[in-house]
Amino acid sequence: MMKIKRREFLEAGLYGIGIGAAGLLPVPPLFARAAQALGPQASNDGRILVVLELSGGNDGLNTVVPYGDDAYYRLRPKIGIRPARVRKIDEHFGFNPGMTGFERLYKEGKLAVVHGCGYANPSFSHFTSMAYWQTAAPNSGGEFGWVGRTADAIAPQAPPNFLVNIDARQSLAVRSKVHTPLVFDDPNKFAREGFYDERDIFAKVADAGNVENPSRRFLLDVARSAKSASAFVKQAWASYKSPVDYGITGLDLPKVAALIHAGMPAHLYYVSYRNNAFDTHVFQGDLHQRLLTYTSDAVSAFITDLQRIGRGNDVVVMMFSEFGRRVPENSNLGTDHGAANLMFVAGQKVKGGHYGKIPSLTQLDDGDNLVYTTDFRRVYATMISGWLGFKDTAGILNGNFEAFDMFAV
Amino acid sequence: MVRRPKLFIAGVVVLIVAATTPMRGLAQRSGPTRWQNDVTPIGPSDWNYDFAAHLLERAGFGGTPEEIDALARMTPAEAVRRLVYFQSIENNLPPFDHSGIHDPGLEPFPESRPAVTKMAKEKGEALGIKVKPGGDRPLQPIVNKFFYWLRASVLETQRVGYWWANRMLATHHPLEEKMALFWHGHFAVNEAKVRDYRKTLGQLELFYKYGTGSFHELMVAVAQDPAMLSFLDAGVNVKGAPNENFAREIMELFTMGVGNYSEKDVREAARAFTGWNYVDLQFVVNKDKHDEGTKIFLGQTGNFDGVDVIDMILKQPVTSRFIAGKIYRYFVRQDLNPEFQEKLGAVLRNNDYKIAPLLETIFLSRDFYSAASVGAQIKSPVQLAISTFKKLGLTEVPGVPDFNVATGTLGQRLFSPPTVAGWSEGRSWITPGLLLERGNFVRDVLFPDINFIPPDRANPAADVRIVAEKIRAGMDISTATIPERGSEGGLAESNMLADRDEDFNTRYGSFRGWQMAIEKVKPIPRQTAHLDLTRMVVDAGLKNTTQVVDYFIQRFMRVPPAEEKRQVLISFLNTQLSMTDVSVATTYMEDSLRLLLHLLMSEPEYQLS
Repeated sequence: MMKIKRREFLEAGLYGIGIGAAGLLPVPPLFARAAQALGPQASNDGRILVVLELSGGNDGLNTVVPYGDDAYYRLRPKIGIRPARVRKIDEHFGFNPGMTGFERLYKEGKLAVVHGCGYANPSFSHFTSMAYWQTAAPNSGGEFGWVGRTADAIAPQAPPNFLVNIDARQSLAVRSKVHTPLVFDDPNKFAREGFYDERDIFAKVADAGNVENPSRRFLLDVARSAKSASAFVKQAWASYKSPVDYGITGLDLPKVAALIHAGMPAHLYYVSYRNNAFDTHVFQGDLHQRLLTYTSDAVSAFITDLQRIGRGNDVVVMMFSEFGRRVPENSNLGTDHGAANLMFVAGQKVKGGHYGKIPSLTQLDDGDNLVYTTDFRRVYATMISGWLGFKDTAGILNGNFEAFDMFAV
Repeated sequence: MVRRPKLFIAGVVVLIVAATTPMRGLAQRSGPTRWQNDVTPIGPSDWNYDFAAHLLERAGFGGTPEEIDALARMTPAEAVRRLVYFQSIENNLPPFDHSGIHDPGLEPFPESRPAVTKMAKEKGEALGIKVKPGGDRPLQPIVNKFFYWLRASVLETQRVGYWWANRMLATHHPLEEKMALFWHGHFAVNEAKVRDYRKTLGQLELFYKYGTGSFHELMVAVAQDPAMLSFLDAGVNVKGAPNENFAREIMELFTMGVGNYSEKDVREAARAFTGWNYVDLQFVVNKDKHDEGTKIFLGQTGNFDGVDVIDMILKQPVTSRFIAGKIYRYFVRQDLNPEFQEKLGAVLRNNDYKIAPLLETIFLSRDFYSAASVGAQIKSPVQLAISTFKKLGLTEVPGVPDFNVATGTLGQRLFSPPTVAGWSEGRSWITPGLLLERGNFVRDVLFPDINFIPPDRANPAADVRIVAEKIRAGMDISTATIPERGSEGGLAESNMLADRDEDFNTRYGSFRGWQMAIEKVKPIPRQTAHLDLTRMVVDAGLKNTTQVVDYFIQRFMRVPPAEEKRQVLISFLNTQLSMTDVSVATTYMEDSLRLLLHLLMSEPEYQLS
């Protein structure tokens, strides 16, 4: 562990020391044939990106607490987390007391903290800002999401099940021009429940052919996606038994682990802490800590679980929120919608430490918000080029964004 | 050419069906492409059975052939007015039957369990219960009651969901319910945050009162209603420390849409709403917390209050376009060009923001009947469920499968919209997972699960169940509530947070709260659907399997499946019945008809309206 002495860091960041990958288990070829049937991408050597959305606007300042900065306590006299309670990672920062999992990941050198992520002229609307993040198009938006466009660029032939979104609704982030994202929520229910006599008919899904009605075309496409993946997903989940405790919610990460374990050909996964959970306007202390505990438990368990199944080196998790929160606390022991925020990247191959310039707590914008120092699309570019190895990020992100050097070779 | 049941002779339906049915007859007729974006009313000569079916599908929850035919025999203007100006039509629907779970001690309900116990320690009582002077866990009854109310309100909300669903099914004012559902998505309030079914029910009653009336009155009523005030934390918006949540959502989601005001406007509007609050079910303005200073809002300066702000917002033409556009997308289709949207906005403005004239314009317009509109909508989960029941001829929402669980699984649980923005509608209703679930829902209606466990009686979270078993086995509270899981990966922090407070036990309170709630909240009736598809086929005078398949397609679907699929279904039924002649198979065909219907309703095309 390196100690952080100054408030601002070099752009390149300071890395923790990674631990060696030891004790990896070989992956049992449980689903080798089933995975093959799903698509040509099925292999274990492909790298996988998992995006975890923390919806509602996570309060970054109470997540990675700048306890070494007096301004933090001046601006947050009531909800500021006292130094004694913070889980210190260096002389300036410490995690929220609820985040033992992140503290451990950080100290093991598996967690990157990217500071000051945001964009110019920030929107304070959940839905607008989230759409900007999901499309990587601040102050404009777009028809397709950045994860969907990444899939389009990396796999233009659109092999099935390249892109998985575990949620009750499809996220704009995964909307793709050529891929039909696999979207499901409960793997136990992701199945056609029919009777014996019906099986032959359910096996046939009509081709969209020359259907003109666009809604009908859409439904026929989705029906084919459902048919091609549901049995695999259900089986993968049913046969997945993990001794790792993901905590209270798991945030759908156990499902991702099950699919990875089973050899799902997906390279992109999108999950979220749903329903605007992080929108902590009032009495945020206990609530926010609880949300962070659940997140920290789930993510650290996921990383542990991946190591257990021998895929630790193949997967990283990128976390973001649509905005941070107002720097001064409000009068209700909560915080209002803000601007620049932290992003996190976790994984065995991640060079842990701080990235990006720390935003100033004393030079806020007119609305008392942190001024962004890192265009969030730089982190996306880091995932696309640095992790997934696709170099032309400008085509996907509609602009050149310098990637961080974030991954060990 | 298919003829649909059009002649009613003393209640007997005479159906004339040609022996061989060409596919062309199954597709619904729609107006020409050039009708798209044309607000001109259609005339009586344009009117037909298919148009009436389309109207009832969108302005209501679809209908039986008899109901559609009744509309088809009117002129289009009469049919639309029948639906839009429904007030004079008798509608004997029962009011909600409260279980009686609330008591005055519950007000004001604290924001969290720690807040309750803190209050109890400070004041010696909370939630209407005094702290025990001594003994074990003196705060336990208070903690129990805290959890009781949380659970009881959730369970009562499920009963309100059933009550509403039954209204949708039985009403003679389908558009009233459809608009209430629209406003529920527009002014989206979630019981999980409000934690009081009386408030969410109260909001629904506003939608009945103002749903097709003045949007201005509705907006003010909603903004001054405890459900919304609670949901958007309006109560904590006070002079000197405005909380923007309420003002922001009013402008962004309820009236103008993003991009039509500045951040400064949001802050100034928040000041105007300071002091707005509620006490139990009453709106109050705390005068000493209201900011009486001058505000600058949308370019005007004055000492505005909340109603002034709403008035000024409604004077913006963009508000009329925003509301009209959203109503159009809900009823007609997702794509809407700006010129057409402005025409609809003008209808709203010119009618003093009354909703009914806008609805009349939309439902009479050529655009509504154009090829782009007909069969273009993906049914919402509630629409799917209610219209399925309706077309099956049910008069009551089945208790199995559970309506709330089923629609929730499909993405639209009443009183539980995912965010303050409501439901996204359109294609967002469908994912591969959800498309399969829609077929499974139909299966559960046609072939109810005999192992069904009522979610309002049993099946709380696993940890509650485990505590219940241990308490019943005679364990003491401390032992019974120790979390169970130990594992190779270690226990997650959240699972290690055992109760350390000696004054009460949260896990026990959670269990006991469930028990108390189940005792007080009335059970939801669990009758299954009473179906008689054989009777339906016989009454329709159908002779052979082809006619049965085509009749089902016509009765249940707005967009028929591909011809290849139709042939597959006909041969499926032939195999099932061992013959093509339906009259011979009458006594044994019920299960086969249900399988056929399950297959048909699992088709992607069944999702279209």
